[in-house]
Amino acid sequence: MKKILVIEDDKFLRELISQKILKEGYDIAEAVDGEKGIEAVKNEKPDLVLLDLILPGIDGFEVLARIKADPSIAQIPVIILSNLGQKDDIEKGIKMGAIDYMIKAHFTPGEIIAKVRTILK
Amino acid sequence: MGLWNNKNQKNSYDTCFNGSDLIITNYLTDGLLVFDKNNRLFLINPQGQNLLDVTKDESIGKSVLELTRFEKFEPLIDFLGAGLVEHSKQEVKIGDNQIFEVTSVHIKAGQERISTLVILHDITREKMADAMKSEFVTLAAHQLRTPISGIKWSLQILLDGDLGALNEEQKKIVEEAFKTNNKVINLINDLLNVAEIEEGRYLNKVTLSDMREILLGVIEDYKQELEKKNISVDFLEPKDVLPKVMLDTHKIKIAITNIFDNAVRYTPQGGKITVSVMGYKEEVEVKIEDTGIGIPVAQQEKIFTKFFRSTNVRKVDTEGTGLGLYITKNIVEAHDGKIWFESEQDKGTAVHFVIPIKKNYGQFLTSDFY
Repeated sequence: MKKILVIEDDKFLRELISQKILKEGYDIAEAVDGEKGIEAVKNEKPDLVLLDLILPGIDGFEVLARIKADPSIAQIPVIILSNLGQKDDIEKGIKMGAIDYMIKAHFTPGEIIAKVRTILK
Repeated sequence: MGLWNNKNQKNSYDTCFNGSDLIITNYLTDGLLVFDKNNRLFLINPQGQNLLDVTKDESIGKSVLELTRFEKFEPLIDFLGAGLVEHSKQEVKIGDNQIFEVTSVHIKAGQERISTLVILHDITREKMADAMKSEFVTLAAHQLRTPISGIKWSLQILLDGDLGALNEEQKKIVEEAFKTNNKVINLINDLLNVAEIEEGRYLNKVTLSDMREILLGVIEDYKQELEKKNISVDFLEPKDVLPKVMLDTHKIKIAITNIFDNAVRYTPQGGKITVSVMGYKEEVEVKIEDTGIGIPVAQQEKIFTKFFRSTNVRKVDTEGTGLGLYITKNIVEAHDGKIWFESEQDKGTAVHFVIPIKKNYGQFLTSDFY
């Protein structure tokens, strides 16, 4: 079973998306801040990461940078799932190696899962 | 008081001021500089010395070129040019953190320029307040998106039936809630766009693009909506090849979408929208014409202002934010274009805009200007 790691500090959003992911037949791992997020990527070895950007402590960009700098986990696809929607942020995220960038308010959980599914194919 | 009289002609860098005029300048809250006809500094009032960080003694009598040696004079002279060209209320950035509104005027006796006045109005604080306001709106809008996403996601999960099937009545009400929530999302997007406009960093990637493609894309996006309202769309394009123009395609698409959205929204069932694109020697024109409810004459002058919604529109539809055309106008003008319209109530509206083909980007586009 493929495993998806959700790094999201908002409890409600984390639960909503996790619930949907489980329902779609994936395994789930969760992290509530950047520090725990990086640990989880290393320990859980997920098949894909959904990464929020505004996180307590180290932010999502830093988490992404550390994932991409570590050869043992650098190949794991990361989708940024954030509400920062300025062009600068999107370009920065993609440039740093995120496979996609989704603005939370613009997508439903179903659409997010559909994206996950295409990437994991 | 002998303002502007011509009797005091003793020294070499003479202008047209006498003693009492000079005393008045000491009390002005704006910086005032006077150059003589040879472009040497004849007068700098205390506020001017203060703003430009020079003393009277070290600056008076110096030529424009010599003055550029002073750190804060340099950007000012750069702006005015060695010939001290006339300007009205132009913003000039001085050093890292000061912004002056600069006006320069030539004073003439007959045909001859006898002196140049330069007025410096310090707007640093206003600009800072503006920037802070925009930042606040941006921050607030982003913060709002998180709870709004939570609502969107949970409603969608209900609609998907993940938590058990809904009955018709339940489904209807959840769908309404979902739509209402999307309105808030749109409003937040509009607010972010407005904040971005007001921060003056509006155009991002400007590339040579095909206006035709963008227009067809927008029409395609509205396919369902058009079918639902049984509105026909005619697309008129030139027989010749349409010249490409320098565009921020993402932003132009927002602009066109806003115009087209109004056309669809305010045209009754069975109406017609005509989209035309025309290529001229120096510009490309777009016209979007509808058979809609029109704009009341008395309110026509306000339609591009922020948060404006006309009275007849408010009755038809409560959704609009009143920001669409304000954003559109700013996008068109950021491309050095022009926008205008003709409208008759209960007959329809035609909105036109033109974008120049060869262009000189204004300061508005320089993202690091402020």
